[in-house]
Amino acid sequence: MTFNVRNVTRRQLLAGTGAAMLMGTASRGAFAEEPEKPAEIIVRAWGGSWVDALKAGVSDPFTKLTGIAVRHDLTEDNEIKPKIWAAVDQGRVPPIHVNWDTTTNATKSALRGVTEDLSDIPNLKNAMETAKPVGLEGYPIVNTYGYVYVLAYRPEAFPNGAPKSWKELLDPRLKGRLAFYNDGIGLHFPAQVAGGGKLEDIPGNMQPAWDFIKQLKEQKPLLGEDPDFTTWFQKGEIDAACTISTNAREAKKNGVNLAWTVPEEGCKYDTDGLWIPKGLPANELYWAKQYINLALSVEAQQVWLDGLGLPGVIPGVKPPADLVNDPSYPTKPEDFKHLIRIPSKVQVEHESEWFATFKSIMQG
Amino acid sequence: MMSGSQRFWFWAVVWVSVITLSAPTLVVLGASFTAGNIIAFPPEGLSLRWYEKIVLARELQQAFLRSLIVSVICTVISVPVGTLAGIAMARFTFRFGNAIQMYLLLPFTIPLIGSGIGLMMLFGQLGALGSLWPVGLACAVINLPFIIWSVASSAALLDPDLEHAAANCGAGRVQTFLYVTLPAVMPGVITGSLLMFILAMNEFLVSLLLTDARTVTLPVQIYNSIRSIITPDLAAVSVVFIVIAGAAIALLDRLVGLEIFLKSK
Amino acid sequence: MSTPKPFRYPLRWRAMDFLEGAADRLWPSKLSRFTGWLFIAPALILVASLAAGLVEIADNSFRKLDVETFRMSDDYSLDNYRTAFASDVYLNVALRSLGGALLTTVLTLLLAFPYAYVMVRTRSAAARKALLICLFLPFFIGQVVRAYGWLIILGNDGIVNHAISVLGIEPQRFLFNFPAVVFGLVQYMLPFAVLMLAPALTAIPEETETAAKSLGANWPRAMWHVVLPMAKPGLIGAGLVVLTLALTDFAMPAMLGGGSQDFIANAIYDQFFRTSDAGLGAALTLLLVMAGTFLVGVVLSLFGAGTLAIGRRT
Repeated sequence: MTFNVRNVTRRQLLAGTGAAMLMGTASRGAFAEEPEKPAEIIVRAWGGSWVDALKAGVSDPFTKLTGIAVRHDLTEDNEIKPKIWAAVDQGRVPPIHVNWDTTTNATKSALRGVTEDLSDIPNLKNAMETAKPVGLEGYPIVNTYGYVYVLAYRPEAFPNGAPKSWKELLDPRLKGRLAFYNDGIGLHFPAQVAGGGKLEDIPGNMQPAWDFIKQLKEQKPLLGEDPDFTTWFQKGEIDAACTISTNAREAKKNGVNLAWTVPEEGCKYDTDGLWIPKGLPANELYWAKQYINLALSVEAQQVWLDGLGLPGVIPGVKPPADLVNDPSYPTKPEDFKHLIRIPSKVQVEHESEWFATFKSIMQG
Repeated sequence: MMSGSQRFWFWAVVWVSVITLSAPTLVVLGASFTAGNIIAFPPEGLSLRWYEKIVLARELQQAFLRSLIVSVICTVISVPVGTLAGIAMARFTFRFGNAIQMYLLLPFTIPLIGSGIGLMMLFGQLGALGSLWPVGLACAVINLPFIIWSVASSAALLDPDLEHAAANCGAGRVQTFLYVTLPAVMPGVITGSLLMFILAMNEFLVSLLLTDARTVTLPVQIYNSIRSIITPDLAAVSVVFIVIAGAAIALLDRLVGLEIFLKSK
Repeated sequence: MSTPKPFRYPLRWRAMDFLEGAADRLWPSKLSRFTGWLFIAPALILVASLAAGLVEIADNSFRKLDVETFRMSDDYSLDNYRTAFASDVYLNVALRSLGGALLTTVLTLLLAFPYAYVMVRTRSAAARKALLICLFLPFFIGQVVRAYGWLIILGNDGIVNHAISVLGIEPQRFLFNFPAVVFGLVQYMLPFAVLMLAPALTAIPEETETAAKSLGANWPRAMWHVVLPMAKPGLIGAGLVVLTLALTDFAMPAMLGGGSQDFIANAIYDQFFRTSDAGLGAALTLLLVMAGTFLVGVVLSLFGAGTLAIGRRT
């Protein structure tokens, strides 16, 4: 690790406002040595309101604090995975420093062994237990917030109020007016319950889920990704969808009248996190970890997650005004009663067969 | 001269094609002037705010510049390679003619994702990722059949007697090539190179795998933004593209005459 | 009487002599039989970069994914191919892609032929330019934005549905089905097909048609018996291009299909990017390449290798 002894004024500045957020400076004593700063670090993020929220909450404060510019790579999480894996395999420097990824995806990378260990990040001490990935050793990834795959709907299409059960989607008047994710993600687990099965049977016996999904297929639903849901809601193509609450909130902000609910069978709850690919030069690795450390501070989480409308992993973050007591923003244990959490390792192991089964039902 | 009935039927089909080709362009043009937040046609109110947004977006401009560089590299590589290959395919008979044609059609029979992953592994091993020239090379490879075919169709119409006549007049092989063969295939070369340039400017699947955040090209940047939300600045970018394209076509017409795309000699 | 100017050997001739000498030394006349191979060598080498990738993909296709470590197994097996052939999903996808590609090819050629014909035969230079511009401009807005434009026009809340609702008809779902994908593919391939057909049609002298008509043929018969056979190489070339590109297309089925109209390229995308099973993805890729190349081979052997030599005198 190359150490440059910084001049006094910078040390004083760091010891002031930034010390609590930066690693090791205050506790190291007289010499606040840090590795050489790179000109920029690259953080992968989802575009649109997602990257805007990250910029406001984490990236811009990071640049102000350290002077390092943050460039955002908007490549999809799925599409950057093989690029990172190939880079690590071929011994090259990976294309990004920090990956803002879904926990499931990140788990695959962790299992493959291409993630750096993040256990030494100081702010992890303050984090809730949801920050630790379940079923993996140490901290190959750090979960940063949770989200719910809610049932989003247009209130005009449901004059009797919010749908109380996923089975209400089987109403023939909704034919062609439903939307799900391409691979059915978020739907598999509620479908298991709606189909008459039990959550404990996941992954052993998922037949109830597939039976319910076969019934849904008769409704000729549209299948797509996040931007498609927003487009379809905006253009009036659909009345209901199983999607992440952020997308519904986004469409709402753009003037579409939308609401969302957690029906009685429950909704899937999952987390997103940050991780660092192997192969970075030592100084850049240090600053990448600083970035994640900042993302785990209360101030950063507050601004970042306000933009997303999602609950964080650091105690002290308050929900935005429009989401207090909202089912998509679980904060207390009771809020989690109707939310279904399946360990990432199980998901990772069985995802491909679940996706394949869902697709074979939908495309047949 | 086309007879009346023929003229009617053919022009009817042509109008259908013209409408389907132009309709999205017009819609995108109109939608780019919207004052609202989503792409809609007719646009909700008129405003130039989206153009303002893209003019201020430095990343878009840098991505555009990189796309230009990539397209130039692609054209520079593919023109000589494709021209020689096209002349070869048309003028010479090969032992394994069919097999060679099937091999040279690999860029079309391999899905772009497969090509992309393969090239990513290849350039990764060579340590070439991180510069723009592999992207240009990749664009040249995956679209190579277009220019080969374009030149071949021009070259096929070249009367071999012309080359013999040149030899008769004492021209050496190089002279014959430069003064007889090349000018004859020029229309095919020009059509092919314009096509390669345009296709490289719009290529996003293979470039997705070969670029990173520092070298991202415009189509990849657009493709990435679309994955999250589609906003009218996309339409504005497309309109800018069209305007530049229109200018380029007008220039081409002034210099060479657009008819060149129809000619084979 | 002025003295005649001394003859100066032009620089150009000097340069030419140099080049000829170099060519003679590097590629002596006795090798001129192989000049064809020399010319085609750069293209062969360039495509070799793809072939190299294909070899690596083929190697991956024989390895299984280990879900504990997400790495490829060390040993070889045919499991990926068994999965591909055993499952109904991939059979459906394959049939859909093949059917879609063939349908697209036929429809595109049907639309492209009149377009190219009119463009070539019309007397008005302005009309010709206008048609060319209509052909080129859509290129510049890219596949994705074009598809989005169609969503606006054909969508539930779109222009066409607004128009027919005025007539009292219910809004129809024009998109997110198989016809929508084929439609998208046809309008995307149309410019390519026209550009490949136009030179072939230019090569057909108008006099042949006039001659046919003067012998009593009406225009459909002149087309069928005179023009089409002469344009055959152009049609084959355009057809092959459209067929292979449509078979391997990824963007149109994804955007206009609503998620239920996957083509093979979409299935390959899912394997490489979503489930990270590079082995199955590789197997599907290889199968697609073999299918496409086989089709090309069939067409070439049926119609002869002269397809590229449009109008070549044998």
